[in-house]
Amino acid sequence: MADETFLTDDFLRQLINVGEVDILVGLPTHNNAKTIGSIVHAIQSGILRWFPRDRAVIINADGGSRDGTTELVKGVSIDDARPASNLYALRTMHAISTIYAGSPESGVALRTILAAAELLRAKACVVMSPESSSIEPESLSKLLGPIYRDGFDLVTPTYRRHKFEGLLITNLLYPMIRALYGVRIREAYTSDFGFSGRLGSQFLGQNAWNDGTGGAGVELRFTLAAITGGYGICQSFLGERDHIERRAADLVPALRQTVGALFSALEPDFPVWSVVVGSQPVATTGADHEVLLEPMRVNRKRLREMFSTGVAELANVFQSILSPSTMVDLQRIASLGDEEFQYPAELWVRTVYEFAASYQKSVISRDHIIQALAPLFRGRAFTFLMENRNCSAEEVENNIEGLCLEFERLKPYLLQMWKSRE
Amino acid sequence: MREMITSELIQALHELARGFAHFLPRLIVMLILAFVGWVIAYVVKVVLRSILRLIKFDKLSENAGASQLLSKAALPSATEVVSRFVFWVAWIGFILLGVSVLGILGLQEQIARFFIFVPRLFVAMFILFLGLLSASFFSRAALLAAVNANVPSPRVLSLAIRSIIIVFVLSIVFEELGLAEQTMLVAFGIAFGALMLGLAIAFGMGGRDLARRFLEKKFVRARKDENEDELSPL
Amino acid sequence: MPLDRDVLWYKDAIIYQVHVRTFQDSNGDGIGDFQGLERKLDYLQELGINAIWLMPFFPSPLRDDGYDIADYSSVHSSYGTLEDFRKLLRSAHDRGIRVIIEMVLNHTSDQHPWFQESRSSRDNPRRDWYVWSDTDRRYEGTRIIFLDTEKSNWAWDPISKSYYWHRFFSHQPDLNYDNPAVREQMWNLMKFWLEMGVDAFRLDAVPYLVEREGTNCENLPETHSVLKELRRKLDEQFPGRMLLAEANQWPADLRPYFGDGDEFHMAFHFPLMPRMFMGLKLEDRKPITEILQQTPEIPPTCQWSLFLRNHDELTLEMVTDIERDYMYDVYAEDKTMRLNLGIRRRLAPLLDNDRRRIELMNGMLMSLPGTPIIYYGDEIGMGDNINLGDRNGVRTPMQWSGESNGGFSTSNPEFLYAPLIQNPVYGYPAVNVLSQRESGHSLLSWMRRIITVRKSSAVFGRGSIEFLYPANHRILAYVRRLGNEAVLVVNNLSSTAQAVELDLRRYKGNILIEMSGKNMFPRVGDLPYLLTMGPYQFYWFRLRRV
Repeated sequence: MADETFLTDDFLRQLINVGEVDILVGLPTHNNAKTIGSIVHAIQSGILRWFPRDRAVIINADGGSRDGTTELVKGVSIDDARPASNLYALRTMHAISTIYAGSPESGVALRTILAAAELLRAKACVVMSPESSSIEPESLSKLLGPIYRDGFDLVTPTYRRHKFEGLLITNLLYPMIRALYGVRIREAYTSDFGFSGRLGSQFLGQNAWNDGTGGAGVELRFTLAAITGGYGICQSFLGERDHIERRAADLVPALRQTVGALFSALEPDFPVWSVVVGSQPVATTGADHEVLLEPMRVNRKRLREMFSTGVAELANVFQSILSPSTMVDLQRIASLGDEEFQYPAELWVRTVYEFAASYQKSVISRDHIIQALAPLFRGRAFTFLMENRNCSAEEVENNIEGLCLEFERLKPYLLQMWKSRE
Repeated sequence: MREMITSELIQALHELARGFAHFLPRLIVMLILAFVGWVIAYVVKVVLRSILRLIKFDKLSENAGASQLLSKAALPSATEVVSRFVFWVAWIGFILLGVSVLGILGLQEQIARFFIFVPRLFVAMFILFLGLLSASFFSRAALLAAVNANVPSPRVLSLAIRSIIIVFVLSIVFEELGLAEQTMLVAFGIAFGALMLGLAIAFGMGGRDLARRFLEKKFVRARKDENEDELSPL
Repeated sequence: MPLDRDVLWYKDAIIYQVHVRTFQDSNGDGIGDFQGLERKLDYLQELGINAIWLMPFFPSPLRDDGYDIADYSSVHSSYGTLEDFRKLLRSAHDRGIRVIIEMVLNHTSDQHPWFQESRSSRDNPRRDWYVWSDTDRRYEGTRIIFLDTEKSNWAWDPISKSYYWHRFFSHQPDLNYDNPAVREQMWNLMKFWLEMGVDAFRLDAVPYLVEREGTNCENLPETHSVLKELRRKLDEQFPGRMLLAEANQWPADLRPYFGDGDEFHMAFHFPLMPRMFMGLKLEDRKPITEILQQTPEIPPTCQWSLFLRNHDELTLEMVTDIERDYMYDVYAEDKTMRLNLGIRRRLAPLLDNDRRRIELMNGMLMSLPGTPIIYYGDEIGMGDNINLGDRNGVRTPMQWSGESNGGFSTSNPEFLYAPLIQNPVYGYPAVNVLSQRESGHSLLSWMRRIITVRKSSAVFGRGSIEFLYPANHRILAYVRRLGNEAVLVVNNLSSTAQAVELDLRRYKGNILIEMSGKNMFPRVGDLPYLLTMGPYQFYWFRLRRV
């Protein structure tokens, strides 16, 4: 049993009143009043339509919203004290809310949800992001069904995306996790996923919040824990991933949450990924991925510039991190003109692996290592955009596949670096 | 007459011998102390070196940028330097202790002053080391942040921060050592002020655009600056 | 003990539903009779009930368990004579027990002389006493009630070559209430029994009395007029007698049967009963509170009648499809248990013979607003026999002892009107009155105690109800109030132990006194009142302010 003293008394009392449940829906929020209304109604409809006989609860872990988010969530509960005239439900459905201490990046929201799931002995759980306005009632069935009915432990989503969206995933996370852990999960870092009570308890016990990473990127650690624990994983197609407004400046926090979490997990997971060879596909309902090809105007020039600036200004930093040959290659391509510029797959893989190895050795502060990766990623993103600007969906997928194979091919290089400086 | 001279001579020799006899034991003690001190200092050096190796002191000092300084001055690694430094300080300390036993006036005071000085020396060295470490960390943090925010001249910014911190640390060190405190303080004040003024002018004039963009971002949320789509990395 | 003169006696009544045929056989023919029942009145008095409701005992071909009546002013010879009945009435009244009998207004048996006459020719004077038609397309769209056996509400009569209307079995033709002669005759028949001393009538199948084209032929205003007329005459000539309506309708549709206190005195609250069972399985009070929230206010002289089980199937007519599927899946997995949109099982088998659940359900029956009805045999936890056709599985002989025939009859077992339950769990050697009387812990002893507690306060029969809605949805809690008296009832519907915090701020300063043990519980303060409850446990607390 993990430490549950971070749950407030009031929340605990609410959990007592909810009692044992079959299905738990976790909603981490922070000032999401604009989008949360339709989401909780979709969840309510989903439960009434797909799981009418099951005991269900919505757990809202809120970071201190001031815009009435929590009221909107609680308003969707079904109970006899406030009869809803036009809604028919066999059972009471609770929707409770608690405010957690800490910043939204600290992963405490997920921890609260997992603790609630364990205390309520939920069989199947799902976490949904309050920013996805494309959640439908069916999403609940897609994420919970495989767990509830087919006995899987983790359901990650797959989306229809624009071919240029989510480059960090297609160019780093997906290929690297695939190469190292041997599992082809497209969205390992996800804010919408389903999991079994078993997996939730196990992860809660691992206490990823107190091991020095400050809880960043727990969602990714969750997926990795499922992989290393040998749990049943499958993917489910959820439809379109809507375009959340993010700026280029959000790259560094995104890197922390994903790449930072991944790198920090490599050390404890070493016994698992060091012996894996190749990769296996994962059971998938619906499409594995889908690509939108609408034209999209992107500020490519800035990516290219930031790459070159980075390589120039951060030379000292890179010297501590990268091998001399990689440094030389990077400096060479930085000096290329826009038309000839190319950050080839092989060089990118080597860059990433060297970063991972340096992270493990803590050659400099780990957070600085992650920040230093940002300009290099931009360069890679630029190359990807250029290479795929006129490509069809299939060609894009082939390119990604090629990158994946490159990651797999160079895995021994990482292993070698890992073992050498020990 | 000859007898008086002889007896005086003999008496003088006796006195000399007596004086010598007084002095000799102390000399022997001093030599013993010196010898013992050498042994102890050597042991301390070896132990310290192992400890420093264990905590990877070399790496820390590399982070601090101290290693670069040392190699430029053609000195051996930081661990070595520190170990040897401690060795010499310890041995000299014991020697001086021995000398004080000799009872030579005038020297006592100086020796006492030495022993008061040594701890402060160590504190100063420690402060200097920490200062170098933090200067290195913060300047690198500033560099990375500036590069990722696409701020122009990131290295200048980084260097500026490093300089400020080092200058600040040095002034504390000198104050700790009690060397030309006032001078150092005033010098630091002037240098710091000048640096700040220079930066202010430079940033004020050159950073106008940056400041404007920053303020816009903070207070004018609804603008989509370039009418081009931004990619989300996730 | 003479009967009390209170005209509202039915509000304090505890009714025992029994069929003469099933209770006790005095003449060894294998069929229960009036004399036998009379002999067992002491048992009933001891149990604590103060009214019995007798299932139909009029002469009948017995193709619908007596609801197909062939003579309204006599008794079936198997049960005795009219004189036997009169004696039973007197003996019951002597013990302070009132007698409620059935009056089937809507239809008669096709063996009744009236129908024989009516069908003989189109010119017969009694032709119009029934509803005839040349085509079976009239009143189209009217629902069929006995879905498992009837395909239409019209049946073809070969004798008069026309169709006759029957809402129930085809051998039960509907009387025509548009005919004043019919109305007059029915009242006279009721008068016959009232003069004999019968205290109340249960009027069977009242929603269907009158038909009109273009309607669903249920609950029509014309039907209500007929009933109001009956009531008026009753009040005039026999004050203090009672009319109980059997109308399986939604609460809102039931309300008109109370009129303004000028129609029925009582009506069965049909929709509540399946929801009690549902709430128990769901471990959620929501179905129960919702149906009671939707139950309209009734005139002050009127009363609901509550029951857990009766001689019919546990009807699932008044629930939604989702609810019906759920109930079928959890209570009647074996499809042979399902009949006519219901489940034909007794109380104890429905609750897996779980003593705690049986007690809880009876506790709710006794504490929810209304007059409770106990179905014979449920006070000892009798079982059922679903292999007996139709609904006969819940109408087996009463089990008095472990001796032959369960002490019901001295005849040969083959002559019993229905076989006894014999399996090791519910059979008469295991479940019978004699052995349960000996044991202070038996269900029978428990029932006697709870009936005593119920009768100790008028608040249960006559008081108002206010629901508390504690956040723990497994707890059903309400306060019954009458004048200065208040009783807090808390029921744990869950199979597991629960903690519940009740908002009793309105009752601050009251001491809680648990009603069966009379022990004090902490006084109500400012904080929510915490109770911990064992599985299926319930409390009745008197709220006392000293």
